[in-house]
Amino acid sequence: MLDAFFQGAHQVFAFDTLIYMLIGSVAGIVAAAIPGFTVTMAIILTLPLTFAMEPLQGISVMLSVYVGGYTGGLISAALLGIPGTPSSVATTFDAFPMARNGEPGRALSLGVWASFFGTIISTLVLIVAAPPLAVVAVRLGPWEYFSLIVFALTIVASLVGNSLIRGLIAGVIGLGLATIGPDPMMGRPRLTFDMDLLAPGLPFLVVLIGIFAISQLLDEVEIHGKKVNHALIPKSIDFKTWEVMREVLMRPVNLIRSSLVGVVIGALPGAGGSIANLLAYDQAKRSSKTPEKFGQGIADGVVASEAGNSATAGGGLIPLISLGIPGSAVDAILMASLMVHGISVGPRLILDHADLVYGMFIALTVASFMMLVVCVASMRLFLRVTDIPKQFIVPTVMICCVIGAFALNNRMGDLYLLGAIGLVGYILKCLDYPLAPLVLGVILGPIAETNLRRALMSDGDWTVFFTRPISALFLAAAVLSVILSIRSIWKAHKKGNGNKDALA
Amino acid sequence: MTADTPKPAAADAVASAATRARNELARLVSYIVFGVAAVYCVWRASSLPTSRWEPLGAGSFPKLVFIVLAALCLFAAIKSVIDIHRNGGMPEAVYAFGRWLKIRRISFAIYGLLVIYLGVLSTLGFSLATFGFLLIAQLLIAGVTRRTVIQSVIAALVFSFGLNMLFADVFNVFLPRGVLIAF
Repeated sequence: MLDAFFQGAHQVFAFDTLIYMLIGSVAGIVAAAIPGFTVTMAIILTLPLTFAMEPLQGISVMLSVYVGGYTGGLISAALLGIPGTPSSVATTFDAFPMARNGEPGRALSLGVWASFFGTIISTLVLIVAAPPLAVVAVRLGPWEYFSLIVFALTIVASLVGNSLIRGLIAGVIGLGLATIGPDPMMGRPRLTFDMDLLAPGLPFLVVLIGIFAISQLLDEVEIHGKKVNHALIPKSIDFKTWEVMREVLMRPVNLIRSSLVGVVIGALPGAGGSIANLLAYDQAKRSSKTPEKFGQGIADGVVASEAGNSATAGGGLIPLISLGIPGSAVDAILMASLMVHGISVGPRLILDHADLVYGMFIALTVASFMMLVVCVASMRLFLRVTDIPKQFIVPTVMICCVIGAFALNNRMGDLYLLGAIGLVGYILKCLDYPLAPLVLGVILGPIAETNLRRALMSDGDWTVFFTRPISALFLAAAVLSVILSIRSIWKAHKKGNGNKDALA
Repeated sequence: MTADTPKPAAADAVASAATRARNELARLVSYIVFGVAAVYCVWRASSLPTSRWEPLGAGSFPKLVFIVLAALCLFAAIKSVIDIHRNGGMPEAVYAFGRWLKIRRISFAIYGLLVIYLGVLSTLGFSLATFGFLLIAQLLIAGVTRRTVIQSVIAALVFSFGLNMLFADVFNVFLPRGVLIAF
């Protein structure tokens, strides 16, 4: 075992591997910072470049892109209020207000340190608990998945902003948008209104970019009695990396809980960073003594979201290494990369290629240190974005969004959808609809429908959802979550602390 | 304080009531639009054939979702009508709507420009269309002066032709080239 560990370490710490990993880390961060360019896309672009490398060298480079990508999304989320990737949606809730309050350096540093510790914690869990966690993850059937999604949908209550009813409407609109296009089981077209544009369905990323990015950019140029061509964040930037590291470490419960949420969600096939960051944020808000401060630029919110999404990197490798089942699209590409090199991924991977598996653990740790170094070293460069006047940044980021949406499928139709969804997002924003529940609905809708229909195909009896223990546990958690949310909203309403509109 | 503004508190109260009524009117319109769209989607989903392989067909889930949406919109609309009535009714709301549009005129202008840009993108090609979009959008936001025109032309050149070259040569992502000019 020790021999295998040292063999793996020897390959990862080779000079050329470290250089390639550094390039991969930078590429992942930059790609994820552009709205519409996902970690998956960055990994796909990297894959052909690794074919000529040794298996561990190639997989190490891809892990660097992976880790860098999960962190890169926070840059545009914090500085522009636009999530660079779906996994940084919750980061916008507190990092952006914090940046707007004159602390963009703190917002970025909190995110980077939380991502770093989240990845490290997930790697530790991966090393210690990969086999048992993977066994639990694969034993979940469609009943458990559907109940888990029902539980996840209760997060909407935490994201509703000023109005519960508008939050619910936004969430249900998201679920409705997800039903457009071919149905997930039989591929039958539905709700396309005979329009070719809608035939393939609404790509999730186009919805994300339209709802968050276009609406945010249009909002930036509104005139409220002042000139609009000043910088997005006009105040001077205070930048204290080490102080912020202590600030993150002073929140051990939040950090560990959010990381564990990320690990568990990452280990579930089909889920991923896009759910993990919202779930971790929701748990942090519920456990907080000051939940009313969430959404106004609180450090706990940034830490929860970033630790949660970064921890899915380690979590996703658990079923991949133990059972050969990819936890997400990115893990599937990592698996394909190994298969290209003639390595079959499955339960025997750790027995037949122990050096490779240990090397992956080491590479994940090295990649997270590299991400930290790259981010800390280049933070000032990223923060220069905040000095650029709106006249340059708004149209240019809009063009990046257009490129991101086009590059997904090379389809002009996606751009027309982007325009339409952008307008809807902007109007919803003007009318004070919370946008996060809508995106949550779009993410969770297809998973919920697929698992509900799959479960009922196996057994038409609805009571099975309540008789299977893990499924019942998730449903009980969902009921409890709804009761607690209504109670807290009602209490805030009675105290008069919250908005008078809270229950409207 | 002058004699022209004798009751600022009362004026504020009237203004905020008008603002609330304006917001609620806009929301009411949105509830009606979403509600009607939801009912239409329920009708469309009901016409989808059932499946012989499963208890739930393709139409069941969308039907369920849109019924919930219609119900939520109905509830919200009733609440909105009550709020509008409480806050002074429609005249104030209609008065305030003009101001709402005025505040957002640049946003809507940029959006209109984006729509035109997306419309001509495949014809003109990425570089040319993007150059035009960036130039006009920057001048819309910053205003037209000699300095802003020079800055905007430079920025538009870099981010239209430069981005196209970057994506094509480095990332192998080919953006629309257009039928007129293939940059």
